[in-house]
Amino acid sequence: MQQTPVRPLGAPGGGALIDEDWEALRFRVHRSAYREPELFQQEIDRIWNHTWLYLGHETELPRPGDFKTRTLGGRPLIFCRDSDGEVRAFFNSCTHRGTVLCRHSEGNTKFFQCFYHAWAFSNSGELAALPGDDAYPDDPGFRASMALRQVPRLQIHEGFVFVAFDPDVPDLLTHLGAAAHYMSLTAKIGPHGLTTLPGVQLYSVKGNWKLAVENAMDGYHFAPTHNTFVGYLRETGFAVTDDDQYAYDLGGGHGLLVLTGHNGRIGMVWEPRFGDEEKARTTAKRQEMESRLGTELAGEIADASRILFVFPNLLLFDLEALTIRQLEPVAADRTDVRAWQFVEVGEPESVRALRIKTMVSFVGPGGLATPDDIEAYEAVQRGIVATANPADPAHDWSDMSRGMANEKQGNQGRSIDEGAMRSFWRHWASVVGVPTSVAGAPPTVPSATGPSRPKGE
Amino acid sequence: MTTPTTVRPGVVRVGDREVTRAEVEDFLYHEAQLLDEWRLDEWFTLFEPEGRLEVPTTDGAGWDATTAGYFVCDDYDLIQARVKRLKSRKAHAENPHSRTHRMVSNVILLEGGAETLWITANFVIHRYRDGGTYTYVGRYEHVLKVDPDRLRFRVRRAVPVMESMDAGARLSFIL
Repeated sequence: MQQTPVRPLGAPGGGALIDEDWEALRFRVHRSAYREPELFQQEIDRIWNHTWLYLGHETELPRPGDFKTRTLGGRPLIFCRDSDGEVRAFFNSCTHRGTVLCRHSEGNTKFFQCFYHAWAFSNSGELAALPGDDAYPDDPGFRASMALRQVPRLQIHEGFVFVAFDPDVPDLLTHLGAAAHYMSLTAKIGPHGLTTLPGVQLYSVKGNWKLAVENAMDGYHFAPTHNTFVGYLRETGFAVTDDDQYAYDLGGGHGLLVLTGHNGRIGMVWEPRFGDEEKARTTAKRQEMESRLGTELAGEIADASRILFVFPNLLLFDLEALTIRQLEPVAADRTDVRAWQFVEVGEPESVRALRIKTMVSFVGPGGLATPDDIEAYEAVQRGIVATANPADPAHDWSDMSRGMANEKQGNQGRSIDEGAMRSFWRHWASVVGVPTSVAGAPPTVPSATGPSRPKGE
Repeated sequence: MTTPTTVRPGVVRVGDREVTRAEVEDFLYHEAQLLDEWRLDEWFTLFEPEGRLEVPTTDGAGWDATTAGYFVCDDYDLIQARVKRLKSRKAHAENPHSRTHRMVSNVILLEGGAETLWITANFVIHRYRDGGTYTYVGRYEHVLKVDPDRLRFRVRRAVPVMESMDAGARLSFIL
C-alpha cells in the first residue's frame, strides 16, 4: 500500500491528532497525545472537569462516619458516609482559608476539624464550630455560606459511586449507557452482593493514562507480553486461547472485551489451579445463580470474563476474580493507579483466600502479569520521545489499524484487534476537542450494546 | 525484648536448640546477596515446602492475606512460578534485570515456637533501571523454620512502609 501524504500535524501545528482512513484501512494517533503537557491540561479541563468520574465503591464506607480521602482529577476530596448513612463527596479544603481539612487517608468521624483555626464541619458538611464567632456577622446565612463544599454531582450505580465537578452533566445512567448493564452483571455474581476489601494497591506508573486504557482494551498484547503468565497457566493445566473472543464499542468512550479463553472464573468456570474443592462448589454455585437469576442471565454473567472500561477512569476486571482499577492522571507522563479486590459478600473463607491469591498472582505491581503491562506503558512513554520531530512529522504516529478490514465487512471486532481502542480514541478526540481526519466511509456501527444483542445487525 | 523463649539477649530457644541473632543475620545477609545477584534457584531453596511469600499493601493494618488485598501472596507453587518467570527473558519487566542493592538491619528475634522463630528486620532496597532510581523501605516479618543445621522460610513477609509505590516503583523483583 502506498504511503499517503501526511496531513498537517495536531499539536502544536493545529492539524489532526487522529488520522482515520477507511480506504487505506489506517487508524493512527499522533504521539503528541501522550506527551504534551498542554494537551494534558486540556484533558483535565475538558474531561475530568466535565464528565462523571469513578470516585469509589460504597462498600469502602460500611459504617456511618467512615471516610476516605482521595485525589480525583488532581482535586483532594473527602469521600464519606455521613451520620445518617448518606454517601457524600466534599472538596477536602477548609472553606475558611483553603487548608486541606482532613489529612488522614481514612477513618471514622462525626466531625472534620481544620487544625489551622479549628473550624469544624459535621460529616454532612455543616459548619459545626466557628471559634471566636462573636467577630463574625451574627447571621445564620454566614454560617450556611461557610458549609463544606460538596462535589456538585454524586450518583451511585450498583454501589459504584461517581461524581462530577460540573453540575450540568447528564444523569449518570445516561453517561454510562450500555456500560451500566455490564456493571450490573458483575454486581449480581454474589447472592448477597459484592464488596471491596481493604488492602488497596496504590502505585504509580511513568506513563500517560491513555496507555493504561489502551492496554486494558488490547487483547493483541496478551500472548506476547504475558508469555510467562500464559506459560504458568499452561503448567497448571489451562491452555489460553484467543479464538472467538470479541471487543465491543459501548458508546461514550466505554469499551468491553468479552473473554472465554483467558482464564477460569472462581465459582463460575472451573480451571485446575482452583483445586478440587472449588470444582464442586462451582457446580453448586451455578445452580444457585440459575435459580436466583434464571438460566439465561446466569449464563451471561458466569460463562465469560469481561474487562469493562468506563470512560474515563474506571476499569472493572471480571476475570478469574474481580478487581476494580481507578486511573488518576497526574501528568502527561505519570498516572496513579488504585486497585481494589472485589469479592462476594458471605463467601466461604477458603474461597475468599483463593480469590485473593489468584487475582493478586495476575494483577497489580507485584503480580506475574501486570508488571509486564507497566513495562509496556513505560517503554512506550520513553520510546515516543524518539519520533517527536517537527522536521519529520510523518513518523510520529502510533498505529491502531488492526482489524479494520474485518470491521469494514461488518464483522464484530475481535478481542485481538484494535477496535475498542479506536472507539475510545474517537470519543476522546470529540470530548477534548482536538481535530480528527476521517477519509473514506466508516462502516455502519452496530448499536452500541455489546454482545447480548444480535451481531452485525 | 524478652519472651519466655528468650534465653539471653539475642538468643532464643526453639525446640531443642538455641538460635542466635548472628545466625539469623547471616541467613538474611546471605538471602540479600542471592537476590542482589539474581541467584533465584538458590534463593528458592531457602523456603520449606508450604512456604509463603507475602507483600501487604501500603495501607495495610495487619490484615492477613485471606481477608485483604495484597501486592504478593504466593503459596509455594506460585513462588516457584515466580522464580521460573523471573529467570525467563520473557519476563519483560525484568529483562534486563533491575540492579538492586539491599541493606538489612535492626534484626530482632521476637519469639520461638516448637520449631519456628519469629523475627523482624528493617530493609532498604535501592533499585535502578532505565535511568530511574527507586527506594523501597520497609521491614521483614518472617516466620523461620528452625532445622538442626539451618534456617528456612515458612513465611517470608516484606512490609513496605512507603505510602504508595512511587512512579515506576513496581514489585517485579523480589522485595
